[in-house]
Amino acid sequence: MARFAAKKTSKPGADFVNETYEHGYSFGTQDYSFQADKGLNVEVVKQISAMKNEPAWMLNNRLQGFAEFEQKRNPLWGADLTGLTFADLSYYLKPTDNQAKSWEDVPPEVKETFDRIGVPEAEREYLAGVKAQYDSEVVYGSLKKTWEKDGVIFLSMDEGLANYPDLIKEYFGKVIASGDNKYSALNTAVWSGGSFVYIPPGVHVKMPLQTYFRINSEAFGQFERTLIIVDEGASVHYVEGCTAPQFSSTSLHSAVVEIVIKKGATCQYTTVQNWYKNIYNLVTKRAYVHEEGKMVWTDFNMGSKVTMKYPGFVLAGKGAKGEVLSMALAGAGQHQDTGAKAVHLAPYTSSTIISKSISKSGGRASYRGMVHISPQAHHSKNTVVCDALLLDDLSRSDTYPIEKVFNNQVEIQHEATVSKIGDDQLFYLMSRGVSEEDARKMIVNGFIADLVKKLPLEYAVEMNRLIDFEMEGSIG
Amino acid sequence: MKTFKILKDQHQEIKLTKPGQYLIELVGSGSSVEITGVFRSQKTEQKKIEVIIHHQAAHTQANTILKGVASDQSFLQLKGKIIINEKCGDTQSFLTERVLLLSEQAKAETVPDLEIKTDDVKCSHAASISSIPEEHLFYLQSRGIKKKTAEEMIVEGFLTI
Repeated sequence: MARFAAKKTSKPGADFVNETYEHGYSFGTQDYSFQADKGLNVEVVKQISAMKNEPAWMLNNRLQGFAEFEQKRNPLWGADLTGLTFADLSYYLKPTDNQAKSWEDVPPEVKETFDRIGVPEAEREYLAGVKAQYDSEVVYGSLKKTWEKDGVIFLSMDEGLANYPDLIKEYFGKVIASGDNKYSALNTAVWSGGSFVYIPPGVHVKMPLQTYFRINSEAFGQFERTLIIVDEGASVHYVEGCTAPQFSSTSLHSAVVEIVIKKGATCQYTTVQNWYKNIYNLVTKRAYVHEEGKMVWTDFNMGSKVTMKYPGFVLAGKGAKGEVLSMALAGAGQHQDTGAKAVHLAPYTSSTIISKSISKSGGRASYRGMVHISPQAHHSKNTVVCDALLLDDLSRSDTYPIEKVFNNQVEIQHEATVSKIGDDQLFYLMSRGVSEEDARKMIVNGFIADLVKKLPLEYAVEMNRLIDFEMEGSIG
Repeated sequence: MKTFKILKDQHQEIKLTKPGQYLIELVGSGSSVEITGVFRSQKTEQKKIEVIIHHQAAHTQANTILKGVASDQSFLQLKGKIIINEKCGDTQSFLTERVLLLSEQAKAETVPDLEIKTDDVKCSHAASISSIPEEHLFYLQSRGIKKKTAEEMIVEGFLTI
């Protein structure tokens, strides 16, 4: 739309591929330098740990996680997970140096989306999984120097474990115990990839830390494990994922993200999830917030077949704050079961949860949230707002909020609305000469505008374009 | 579970007084229902109220208001669920759940669920849990009303629908 800079429409031709891509590695997706046997057993877990030369405590941790995974059942609520067969999955894939896929293997709809949202050409190959990493060494190099000067650690989890074993041992699995749920146990058993971030006291990291700046590591793993520690008075914004579709040949993505926020520190964690539409995305994310600390989750879910994700925070120190801004777009065949979990354990804590969902062409978007106010959390406040937009009569929207309050000095509010695009709104815009399709796009973009505003600018622009793209042809 | 069926073009008012499970089915097109429920729990009582409002036809309307006051060590649970089936266009349904906690040991849980399978609807819910605001008490007390009487007045006003 005219509100944004001109879109790039150039398509990568044959010579584009020639320039940047060495031929001769197109062996399909099965070519990894190491691939664990299909299925999961104690041997596979031991093998993964041995491959990574991990300390003994981590191996024990993994084995414990595996035992818990075996015992636990799938949740009885939420999305339908019967399509998942654990025996058919490979639990550890180590990519070869030259990724064994060619640009031609990338599905055409993924390529088209790249064009439409204007992803720089250098990024495309990386995002499509053709190249192992986005070639951003120059940018990354200079950023890395600034970070090192301030003592900021931003590494992959594997590097972190090798270089800072004591820090990791102290915090690993403390916010989310491996037995928290079936999928956190699975992640504990077979994790690989993910980030380790440490921000020293008082350091404000101005530029967002973005996963695709980190090189020589697996940025997006199947079972990534991220640990972020923000020390006293520090602040950081961490960005994960990308608006462009991420293509993956595996069918389960199960990440665990743990965040520790010390006294007076602030952390914002932004996720833009656009997995390819065959993926089960089952993620556990939680922050432990100390006195006067603040946690902000911005969570955008557009892709995947099934998403179950409830970013949460435990407000454990007096005056701690939490915020969840969640947006979900469910298209044909998709079920976005997202929400938030707020646990208030200390007095004067406050939290806000804002959720917006859009369902179209038979998609189903659900908000599922829990607010728990303990007896100690007097003078606490919580507000939950859920807005849902249904674009046709095939789609479905659900809201399942639970609010538990165990003391009386609190203010708890919950509001939810479900609506469609009003005929009067459409009529107004169309009477000004806007076509119906554009009018619908404008209304949908307006619906999510106050959440998109919280994203870094380039993401916000891409997000708007992506919504436009997803909306196209949706007039029934 | 107690079941109410609202037939074509009927309007019904339902007043709930006892805890328990209620199912309200709007089976006929053009039917409408007004549901109100007021509950008080005291001492160590545990009161649970569950209301399901199931829209099974087009052009139906429902308005549900549940209010509760929990005092002493009691526990009050208000569960409400609006279900709107496929092809039930031009439907309106609203659900409100409000709880007032009068003592520090009183506990409350509100669960307002929505399951919407059609797009031509106006549907919303709201829930809140709070105590009596100190300003309200202060205002009444400054007019010479005893704290206990003031509390009773506020509760009475809160429960009036």
